[in-house]
Amino acid sequence: MEILALVKLALDTGQLRVSETKVDIDSTPLKISDIDRNAVEEAVRIKEKAGGRVRVITALKYGPLTRRQQEAESLLREVLAMGADEAYLIVDNALINSDQLLTAKAIAATIRKLGNYDLIIAGEATIDGYTSQVGGPRVAAELGIPVITFVRELRVEGNKVTAKRDLEDAIQTVEAQLPVLVTVTREINVPRIPPLLQIRAAMKKPINRLGLADLGISMKSPVEVTNIVPIQVKRKGVIIKDGTVDEKVDKLIQALIQEGIITPPR
Amino acid sequence: MDMTKVLVIGSISDLGLIGLAQKVESPEIHYLLLGGGDATQLGKYGVTKVYTLSAQVDEASLAETLVNLISTNNYSVIITPPVNKYFKTTIPIAAQKTSAPVLVDVLDLKQGGNTFEVTLNGVGNRAQVTVKVTDRVFLMAPPARFKPVEKVTTVTTESLQPKAITGIKVVSTEEKPKGKVRIEDAELIVSVGRGFKKQEDLKLAFELAEVLGAEIGCSRPIAADLKWLSEDHWVGLSGHKVRPKLYMAVGISGQPQHLAGMMESKTVVVINSDPNAPFFKNCDYGVVEDLYKFVPALTKKLREILKK
Repeated sequence: MEILALVKLALDTGQLRVSETKVDIDSTPLKISDIDRNAVEEAVRIKEKAGGRVRVITALKYGPLTRRQQEAESLLREVLAMGADEAYLIVDNALINSDQLLTAKAIAATIRKLGNYDLIIAGEATIDGYTSQVGGPRVAAELGIPVITFVRELRVEGNKVTAKRDLEDAIQTVEAQLPVLVTVTREINVPRIPPLLQIRAAMKKPINRLGLADLGISMKSPVEVTNIVPIQVKRKGVIIKDGTVDEKVDKLIQALIQEGIITPPR
Repeated sequence: MDMTKVLVIGSISDLGLIGLAQKVESPEIHYLLLGGGDATQLGKYGVTKVYTLSAQVDEASLAETLVNLISTNNYSVIITPPVNKYFKTTIPIAAQKTSAPVLVDVLDLKQGGNTFEVTLNGVGNRAQVTVKVTDRVFLMAPPARFKPVEKVTTVTTESLQPKAITGIKVVSTEEKPKGKVRIEDAELIVSVGRGFKKQEDLKLAFELAEVLGAEIGCSRPIAADLKWLSEDHWVGLSGHKVRPKLYMAVGISGQPQHLAGMMESKTVVVINSDPNAPFFKNCDYGVVEDLYKFVPALTKKLREILKK
């Protein structure tokens, strides 16, 4: 079975570098988008049962490229250590700050270049953009294959995929024939933490780099980012940690009264 | 100046989005009305054409219908509500096939000729981002953010016949237990997380919420993994975004995805036994204490003070 896992090297928004007026994206670290770890885990589990290989595809979305490439490669080693066999890293200045349309075209073009595939797995959304667009519906639309989104249980038997979709008010069970693209939710599995041996082995696995020219893409992003202003929320940060439980209760209740949240009757 | 063609997609209760459509210069507004409702109501706000679907369809079929409608009428702006996974699947397919970007969580729009300047919440809800985009664009926004101005027009209605797309077969649908909480409208919220060891223990939070007159919110694991509460309680980037007067987080560590859902709260109280919980960096009042001791004591004292 030829399985592809789509992974985003997302902005670690928990470590966002923010000053009064600026969001410093260039010096904020990247991480494997959490839900994409579930995607890789699911891909590796299917490989372990059905045989075949798992290839990981990612497009680098944050600059500066000179510094990010190294960072990207070490992050990709993490998913290679989880059991993926090979990684493809799309690096091009045109993708920095580009919109999802172009990103999806680049990923789809890479998939076509790799040749045949049976199953593509991605996370339901990324932790930075959280638009649920690229890895799932857009790439599937570009490739012209069906997409099954928000999957929390996946079964592959022969040529048939059965999936449980986690929708707002229902669990929907669907079936489809391969090839198909599936996006998974965090609940589908618990991603493994690779042992040292696997981490060492991952150092030898290939990471292939591609640019848009290699993919025959020359379009420009239709969206230009002109300004990013941090949303500053000023919190008081009063920490109540000393005293007995009852003393802490009193302190908090005083604060709630002062804030006008509770009003004791006179 | 030429009319700019705008399509709004949504149910009748999403008509607030017409307010965003009206920010376009001389708009010609069409509405794809899903789920039935009185189309003439839309004519009050300047909608000239209403499309309906002859049948309820899956995401792939709706996407196909949209692509056809967009290429027939050549819309410059397409506006949709962000509300559900049905749209989250449909819209990107339609956008990719019509070569258009989708801008999510839109706050405002200004038009200068054929360029649109759009402001939105981005970077994991940590920043306001301004972008310039030309030609066709999809915008997603919560309808309640906008207020359409009245402008009475005559509406014509047309029913579309969506084509079934084969590929995905629905085998069964199992309804989830339904809650009735609208957490996004709550004034006061007591929110629970993994600090609670057992489902029964949540009653501590329910008792506190009752004294305060608050709704119960929760973090992702409580709704999605453990299923101790239904998903209408879930606060966060993939749950609900809330903006109460009081957000009291009990036993929630404060992951960025959770914080993104409650950033607009006025006063934030955090109760956690771990002094290093990241939530303490984002609170107005933080109590470092075992919730099993603190919450019952707080409930008891509030009951005395509020005479409940």
